[in-house]
Amino acid sequence: MIEAYGLGKTFRLTKSGKGMFGAAKALFSRAYTEVKAVEQVSFQIKEGEFVGYIGPNGAGKSTTIKMLAGILHPSRGEVKVAGYSPQEQRKEVAKRIGVVFGQRTQLWWDLPVRDSLEILQAMYRIDDAFYRQALLRYDDLLDLQEFMDTPVRKLSLGQRMRADLAAALLHNPPVIFLDEPTIGLDVVAKKKIREFLQQINRVEKKTILLTTHDMDDIEQLCERIILINHGKVVLDGTLRQLREQIGLPSVMVIEYRDEPSVRDALPWQGVEKVEQEGNQLKIHFDKTKLSAPQILAEIGRWGEPVDIQIKEPEMEDIIRMMY
Amino acid sequence: MIWLYRKLILASIRAQMQYKLNFLTTAATTGLIMVIDFLVLSAILQRFDQVKGWDIYEVGVLYGLASASMSLYRLIAPEIHDFERYIVYGDFDQLLTRPVSPLTLLLTRNIELARIGGIVQGIAILVISLYGLHQEGKNIVWLLAYVPVSLAVGTVILFSVGLATATIGFWTGQIKDLQTFTLYAPATAANYPISLYPGWLKLLFYTAIPVAFMNYMPMSYLLDKGGSWTALLMPLGMAAVVCWMALRFWKYGIHHYHSTGS
Amino acid sequence: MVYWRIIRKSYIRNLQYRIAHLINNVASAIFGFVYMAIWFGVLDGRAGSSPYDQQTMAQYITLTQCLLWVTTFHTPGLGIQNGVRTGAVSTDLMRPISYFLYVMSMEFGKVVYSFFYRFIPVGLILGSIAGFSFPLQLQTYLWFLLSLLFSVYLGLLLFYITGISSFWTTEIRWSHYILITLIFGLGGQMIPVELLPGLLGKLSLYLPFSGILYAPAMIFLERIDPDVIVMQAGWAMVLTLTALFLTAKARRKVEVQGG
Repeated sequence: MIEAYGLGKTFRLTKSGKGMFGAAKALFSRAYTEVKAVEQVSFQIKEGEFVGYIGPNGAGKSTTIKMLAGILHPSRGEVKVAGYSPQEQRKEVAKRIGVVFGQRTQLWWDLPVRDSLEILQAMYRIDDAFYRQALLRYDDLLDLQEFMDTPVRKLSLGQRMRADLAAALLHNPPVIFLDEPTIGLDVVAKKKIREFLQQINRVEKKTILLTTHDMDDIEQLCERIILINHGKVVLDGTLRQLREQIGLPSVMVIEYRDEPSVRDALPWQGVEKVEQEGNQLKIHFDKTKLSAPQILAEIGRWGEPVDIQIKEPEMEDIIRMMY
Repeated sequence: MIWLYRKLILASIRAQMQYKLNFLTTAATTGLIMVIDFLVLSAILQRFDQVKGWDIYEVGVLYGLASASMSLYRLIAPEIHDFERYIVYGDFDQLLTRPVSPLTLLLTRNIELARIGGIVQGIAILVISLYGLHQEGKNIVWLLAYVPVSLAVGTVILFSVGLATATIGFWTGQIKDLQTFTLYAPATAANYPISLYPGWLKLLFYTAIPVAFMNYMPMSYLLDKGGSWTALLMPLGMAAVVCWMALRFWKYGIHHYHSTGS
Repeated sequence: MVYWRIIRKSYIRNLQYRIAHLINNVASAIFGFVYMAIWFGVLDGRAGSSPYDQQTMAQYITLTQCLLWVTTFHTPGLGIQNGVRTGAVSTDLMRPISYFLYVMSMEFGKVVYSFFYRFIPVGLILGSIAGFSFPLQLQTYLWFLLSLLFSVYLGLLLFYITGISSFWTTEIRWSHYILITLIFGLGGQMIPVELLPGLLGKLSLYLPFSGILYAPAMIFLERIDPDVIVMQAGWAMVLTLTALFLTAKARRKVEVQGG
């Protein structure tokens, strides 16, 4: 469904000054620096796959998505989405994809959700019967009814994301691009969005490409991960493969009432490091080899814990682990 | 496109009616400055009779046409006029994920109903002026017949200039300062007879920013100030040419955007 | 002193736009240019019927176009309404300084900036077309300076009062437009106010709006008696008292209703 061969994008950044004058100068100036936002990216995604496209900030994720969606034209390489080239047949591709940018809405700010959807119906030439059916289906999955007649500007972030998802899926596209769909949402809203995405992937066999910074999104949704850094694919495989390759350590931070007396319990399989600082203890461990309850059972014997936190690895940490 | 546009206008009216009072006050105040401006001009002309051979009613015809055209352009193309936003916040990306051309999307995204206030006030100046001319015993039949043409030509010319200015935003990222140059100042200048201005400005208003075609040229002929009947046809040709050029430039701008992003 | 610091900070903050503004000045000069062209056309061959000749009118337009930048092109409502809408205003009111002076200082920093990067450049551009003529008498400069300060202060006061009205109306767009319209129409932006027809021509000489553009411009051109400064001072006093009265009312409203 989605194919990229040797995809690359080079930006020429003109050294522009501030304001009108700088901008005008940039028009005539030949001084620029070349930035390779995407250097060499190839992958094929089959129908019905749910792929996490991940990497640190500035790795080239958004640029890739923009090339797949027909917003940017690649400097090198070739793209096919649903059999069409986004560069040459942008409108054909546009009919077959749904795009959600988590940071900004595609809906009409002052209009009720219903009006936005009706405008999209006209834009994508969706016939009435199909439209009504789609509304019913997404109302069922996303509870649109509760805010259908509310202007978009009055929606909460979670409601807006639900409306945005319905809007992106209205024309029943086989391919969906999601750029940070859960950013800024609370736990409940995230859960709802994830369940929905899982549903449309499994039942409706939508092909989904998702970028995210949230490790939970990936863990719960993506059967396949493409990890990029500095514009190149670093890993293309399953979450398990990623784990095996880098360990993916979680960290448990335990606050004791008094300074704990750590026994020589380190040879546990899966514990990578233990740091102690006053009353605080940090245990780095591998979730796949050792479960949190197993550690919990042990730490109680070292002192009286007053606070326990588990930190999942951040995206940036994972990248750092790769090298 | 028509279907889409109709849907959009209805939705837009509904949205703007959410703030009824606000809408009414904005509609009333939009163009208030224009009316005061014109009243001050009447005060000047009442005292000094005429400017370059144009009396108050004749200037009023120019003024009404130019300001109503400007308001019409602002009514139908608010998203083109405020295009800077799309570049600065990267909202343009989304338009490129649709199966419709970005220009169609921008034109159907919003209409700024409050500009109706400006249109009404512009047309009011026009009507009063035409009535004044009629009282003076002038034949206004042809003037009256040509008014719709002039309004259409004016709107198309201002739209084209606005679109070309917006396109420059693909390179510069900002267009607000530029609009003073390309739209506000020329439109203000076109409120008065172009013959007032020195040669280089006249040249500008007949070529790059052809505001002279939207009122001054045809009205000069219809008000017996010289020129030939071709002055009634040339504005149509000019409107078609600038519109075509602006569209070409816009396409080129989008092509540039595809390869550079924002 | 705190107000001095606010003025300086606001001045420096505005400096970042100076390059764009300098370019923009050329564009805004075109407006002055259009008004000049109208007067040239109107007075063409009819110098006798007007108290002012073409050059005087061109210089008058130059001055009013410059004055607009330091007296009229302010932030609408001095931004007070934004604070009222977001509720941030209650914090500002609770500060141990005068809210009135705080808001005025903020905008005054911008005025100082506009003087150097708007008033002067626009004056140079339009002046080069209108022809420079400077007052011969030394005291005229003193009167002009005094009148200019009053005109700036009057402009700020009117904007402040518009802004503070948002405590009761929340929306000031309407009143802002009316204010601008009055300054443009009755302030003498395009026509010396005494040339306005009938009663309006006489009345507007005594309204605060003519103290904003007409008075300082005419003093500079030595076409009016400096007595007009007394009128400016009188309005400054009346409007200051009004502003302080409304500020006190607004403060009480916030204290009682919590914004």
